Amino acid sequence: MPLPPLQEAYSGQVHAITLGGGTRKTTVTIGGAKTVVYGGPREACGAKPAIAIDVLDAAPEEWPPVLAQAYGNVLGDPAAWAKKAVEELGADLVCVRFDGIHPDKGNRGADHAVAVTEKVLKAVGVPLILWGCGNDEKDNAVMPKVSQAAKGEKAVLASVTQDNYRSLTATALADGHFLVAQAPLDINIAKQVNIFVSDMGFPLDRLIMFQTTGALGYGMEYVYSVQERERLAALAGDKLMALPVVCDVGSEAWRAKEAKASADEAPAWGDAARRGPIWEATTAIALLQSGVDLVRLRHPSAVATVKAYVESLWS
Amino acid sequence: MTDKKPVRLTVRFEPAGLKTEVARGSTILEAARQAGVYLTSICGGDGYCGKCRAVVDEGEVEAPPTALLSPQETRDNVVLACQTHILTDLTVTVPRSHLLDGGPILVDSDAHRFSELSSEGVAGGAFVHAPLVQKLYLEMDPPTEQDQMADHERLYAAIRRRIDAPVMQTGYRILQQLPAVLQQAGYRVTVLLAQRAGTIEVVDIEPGNTARCNYAVVVDVGTTTVVAHLVELVTASTVDSEATYNSQMHFGEDYIRRIIYAEQNNAFDEMQRRVVRDMNDLIQTMAIRRGVELHCISAVVCSGNTAMIHFLLNLDPRRIRRSPYVPTAAWVPPIRAAEAGLRISKRGLLYVLPAVGAYVGSDIVAGVLATRLYEAPALSLLIDIGTNGEVVIGSREWMVCASSSAGPAFEGSGVKHGMRAAPGAIERLTLTPEGQFQYQTIGHEPPRGLCGTGLLDALACLLEAGLIDRGGKFVRTADPRLAEGPDGLECTLVPAQDGRGPIVITQADVSNLVRSKAGVYAAIQVLLESTGTTVEALENLYVAGAFGNYLDPRKAIAIGLLPDVPIERIHFVGNTSLAGAKMAALSCQAFATAEEIAGRMTYFDLMNHPHYMEAFIQANFLPHTDLSRFPSAEKRPAGAMAGDLKPGTLG
Repeated sequence: MPLPPLQEAYSGQVHAITLGGGTRKTTVTIGGAKTVVYGGPREACGAKPAIAIDVLDAAPEEWPPVLAQAYGNVLGDPAAWAKKAVEELGADLVCVRFDGIHPDKGNRGADHAVAVTEKVLKAVGVPLILWGCGNDEKDNAVMPKVSQAAKGEKAVLASVTQDNYRSLTATALADGHFLVAQAPLDINIAKQVNIFVSDMGFPLDRLIMFQTTGALGYGMEYVYSVQERERLAALAGDKLMALPVVCDVGSEAWRAKEAKASADEAPAWGDAARRGPIWEATTAIALLQSGVDLVRLRHPSAVATVKAYVESLWS
Repeated sequence: MTDKKPVRLTVRFEPAGLKTEVARGSTILEAARQAGVYLTSICGGDGYCGKCRAVVDEGEVEAPPTALLSPQETRDNVVLACQTHILTDLTVTVPRSHLLDGGPILVDSDAHRFSELSSEGVAGGAFVHAPLVQKLYLEMDPPTEQDQMADHERLYAAIRRRIDAPVMQTGYRILQQLPAVLQQAGYRVTVLLAQRAGTIEVVDIEPGNTARCNYAVVVDVGTTTVVAHLVELVTASTVDSEATYNSQMHFGEDYIRRIIYAEQNNAFDEMQRRVVRDMNDLIQTMAIRRGVELHCISAVVCSGNTAMIHFLLNLDPRRIRRSPYVPTAAWVPPIRAAEAGLRISKRGLLYVLPAVGAYVGSDIVAGVLATRLYEAPALSLLIDIGTNGEVVIGSREWMVCASSSAGPAFEGSGVKHGMRAAPGAIERLTLTPEGQFQYQTIGHEPPRGLCGTGLLDALACLLEAGLIDRGGKFVRTADPRLAEGPDGLECTLVPAQDGRGPIVITQADVSNLVRSKAGVYAAIQVLLESTGTTVEALENLYVAGAFGNYLDPRKAIAIGLLPDVPIERIHFVGNTSLAGAKMAALSCQAFATAEEIAGRMTYFDLMNHPHYMEAFIQANFLPHTDLSRFPSAEKRPAGAMAGDLKPGTLG
């Protein structure tokens, strides 16, 4: 007697959300999974994961040469950089990361951030992610202005934490954006942040969850299991966890010495030009298998690899 | 200074006006201890809790700089007493908020914090009234040539005619005294008999009939508070009650700190002296007030956490805090009370109820005994909220227990305006429909601070009023009660009036309380999950502890301290440690049951439990990260948290 096919059935479903609106020429839908990755028919797996490419508001000072060379002369020009990301590299979204407003990294003001936002909005037609610098005080001062500059574009504003969520939540609510809720690799704190934000009247279906990501070799298995547990909770019917998930792969992967060490520093580790992108792509692919819906990437080769992987599995 | 002769300096403490002499270089805290000034010190003198503030009015001192004092405080001559060395004669003022109330406190008759469960357990027939120590008046026939039975055997025969006493023993001293006493009294004597592990000891013998003159003192030896009742054993009635701070508080507010202090300073004798002195003070106060002579007090029956019992008996407590966490004794055999330094009848005994282990002490066993959890057909939960939050779940079939590091917040320690449940403590706090705070204090005295139930109410009120979010963080609003204080944001609960400062709750206090309640709830959750039981299966929830007179069960649920059960299942049972000890004093059957209970309880070590930390993080939220566990918190409209639970007897 043949064994009947075994099918996991889940009661919950991840929200499907469509990013981008206003003057955006394209929109991107993420989420919608009714099962785990590979857990069922293609249509139950939800929308194809999306790729956002990081564009920094100011030329990065500490990028490893392999990464910096990939972008060459656009590094100091966010608009040109964004254009390259979309037109040459095929980014689904552009993630403007406002590192340059951080008090330790230039301490630029709101005028600068707003100008960058406006330029990037003009340069590309894809939806934007507007990601603060991580300094609460500075983000609270600058990001509301950035949000306003993109009002109506249905962008993604990042990020709110358990200690600092009021100002950005109110801003995102007023300007019609999506919001990234951040947690320090803790599934319970992730849920708590979601509760804080929804207690303020922010709709859950405009939230994206974000666990601080670790790179391959730096606790990846823990990151993976947190993402997986989060997804299983969503599929088991926990409405507060039924949200799409974003991971910051690019900046984490390129912090790893395995990714950024030059050939001189680590001759035994192989070609530096390939090593970094492989490190980044491998991190991203592992996380996509845990159910992540949106990845932020940096190196063009990594983008190409991940894109091919996504196409091969989700199409 | 090269002067080799130790210089004696005089230190005067205001406002008490107490004076003492110390060697030059002593710290103000040492001088305070010597002078009998009770100064709060959480860290036990290590200089990092910042609680032992004092003001140097006159004289010179030397102290290392500390970040715990603000520049303004330093300008105002505020110092940390434990870090400040005395160089000249001094006058020091200890602000009232940093004083512990010293000395015994008179107990209000209605004060639940010191009250007991009714001794129904004994009187109502659950246990036979057969005190651990009893007196028998015996009339024997004097020996004759026809009846040459020896005095000792004659006494035993007389005893055995009255009670079932197959195994007896008599001390050497009593044997020596025996012929003289018997002959002097014409063979009409009163014997004091005591239960000693299955043996009945003839403890003492007195001429004539003194059988009615038989008392015991039962004591809850708490980390913060020592509570004693004087019990008349013949009638099983409580004659008096009295409570005082545990004066070991000087050496740290939790017992782990005290063990560390005792270890570092070889102060185990000092620890014993302190708690024994506290107990003697209580015993004497009650005895004098009731005209009971000390030699009529035949026994002291104690319960307390394992560390406190070790200090009391001067047993080595050091391994209680070190893996593998082994106490010297969990079941302490009865000893002569005088050997521990207790002043009752010279040959009187000191009994200690059995403990489960290092972290679940005899106070919890007493609680299980008093609530009768061990014999209930349905599942019950007992939470004892003290410096540690111990949790027991079980029924007549099985019992499990755990101890959470709840911290002393609900006892009022480590909270800016927290205090012990004493007169002037706010024990209830409610919100008016207009959103104003309303309070009630113990003894209806002017408010001095908040005790545990007041703090619990405060947390619920802040949440209900939207002044804190579910993470326990103050929400910056225009509410005038919310302001930046010296320790960050704080909320004024009672404004300053009549020359008293305001009573506030700070961000640190709120976080502290949330952590405390999370520790307790996580312990409950882990025990429930580990035993495959659910909250719904709990028929009764007993909340024990000496932290106030009224517990509002709705508020306790609203903040997630207690699981969301129908409130009629929640019983606030007060000091069950004392109640259980009293039952044991009055009935050797109850004492034997306590031993059986201690043997039956299975201990869960939360610190090594794989899910405790996760359960704790989940509970570190108001009421809980998993809101499905608190359906009533979702349903209840704001402002509907009225009504409370008065102290009651067990249902």
